[in-house]
Amino acid sequence: MAIGGSSRRNDDDVRFSRTFTVALFLLSIILIAFDRPQSRPPLLSGIRTTITDLSAPLLDLAAAPVRAVGNIEPYWRNQGRLAEENAELRRRLDETRYWRDLALQLRDQREVYEQALNVESQAMEERIGAWTLGDSDGPFVQSRLIGAGARSGVEDGDPVLNVYGMIGRVVETGQVSSRVLMLTDLNSRIPVMADRSNARAVLVGDNTAYPRLEFLTRDADLQDGDRIVTSGDDGRMPRGLPVGLAQRDRQGRWRVRLFSDQAPIDFVWVFPFTPIPPPVTETEAVEDTQPDGDEEQTAEAGQ
Amino acid sequence: MRPPIETRPPFGLIAWAVISLMGSLAFYAAPLRIAGGPDLMPMLPLITLFIWSTVRPRFIPPIVIFVVGLLQDVLSGGVMGIWALAYLSAMTITRSREEEGPTREIGPVWIRFLVTLIIAVPIAWGAGSLVIGQMAPVRPLLIESVASALMFPLIALLFIRRRPRGAFGS
Repeated sequence: MAIGGSSRRNDDDVRFSRTFTVALFLLSIILIAFDRPQSRPPLLSGIRTTITDLSAPLLDLAAAPVRAVGNIEPYWRNQGRLAEENAELRRRLDETRYWRDLALQLRDQREVYEQALNVESQAMEERIGAWTLGDSDGPFVQSRLIGAGARSGVEDGDPVLNVYGMIGRVVETGQVSSRVLMLTDLNSRIPVMADRSNARAVLVGDNTAYPRLEFLTRDADLQDGDRIVTSGDDGRMPRGLPVGLAQRDRQGRWRVRLFSDQAPIDFVWVFPFTPIPPPVTETEAVEDTQPDGDEEQTAEAGQ
Repeated sequence: MRPPIETRPPFGLIAWAVISLMGSLAFYAAPLRIAGGPDLMPMLPLITLFIWSTVRPRFIPPIVIFVVGLLQDVLSGGVMGIWALAYLSAMTITRSREEEGPTREIGPVWIRFLVTLIIAVPIAWGAGSLVIGQMAPVRPLLIESVASALMFPLIALLFIRRRPRGAFGS
């Protein structure tokens, strides 16, 4: 590669333009300076989603042998252990049936109450299943690429869960793939609450496996082992999605042991969510009608 | 008139280079932990870039290094330009040291790769830290670097074995 104005020659007689190399350096620096997830220009977003959409089939292909290895792993175990596991799973299934019935019963009850009170609840649409295509737990970003995009109904901000709990939310949506920012990422901020006491907090990722609970009030009623769920306070995701269990670290700060960590994140569900629009207040309603009133007043003054 | 055999571009090798670079990017980004495997992935794109730039330097112009770095940035979900800048800097510096003639033996090539790694990783770490506004964790990069350093000779040996005289890329 040509450095310092000269071109390099070797047995392959290679010559590379110094100007072009310098231009590429500058382009890299410009990209680093301007490509920010929070304020990404549409052009860069378009380039990124196009690249991920195009590479999705290739990544799926690369992940296939890994999934196959993962699937044959139980066959290594001896038959006795498999039988025990089977019995345990049947027992859990029976328990789950009871909870499913209870959930359906409560849902029906809630619908009746909502109709009686004329209340509109947060709309949860059909969940969208997707395989993980790419997995990045690097030092700069913790994210997953999943095989569902705008064509399947995925939108930016949608929460993503695995079989145990929430893993993150969609931050980039292509046509056939989406990027999920993990709860553990530095840029992740999710409003949560304790299921038992409704104590509010913000779940803040810090690149560790246990994200922190920040902005707790001093007298917040929080205990070790409290179930943490989404509070939906930001209006961008539903209330009550399972997140994890509260626990104190060595410094006494509250952190969350994520439910989703119980298994490798392979198959996930995206929960499209339509937030309820805020009600129009009386002041806003008056402001909306104000221009007409002003015009009338001006007209009257003119006469 | 048909060009002489020596000047015809080796399309097969070019295709092989493209496939190996794309494959290295795909395996680097693939979710290997879904099978319960360890979180240990060498920097396959850098290894592949380095081997091709040693075997066939003309296949790896700066634009290819830039594009591979950029694709790695996008596929890993990071800010664009971090790995592109790191790879460009490292490869440019180590290539410039070949002015006196490229080394073809595995030992010196391995050392040159280690130098490339030692240049690329701190640049990526520095750029990444600037982007996230705080010191990025060192451990993941350290693990990736050690895995890359250990895996490099194994991959490089495959290329050497294909050449009966033991010459690397000759």
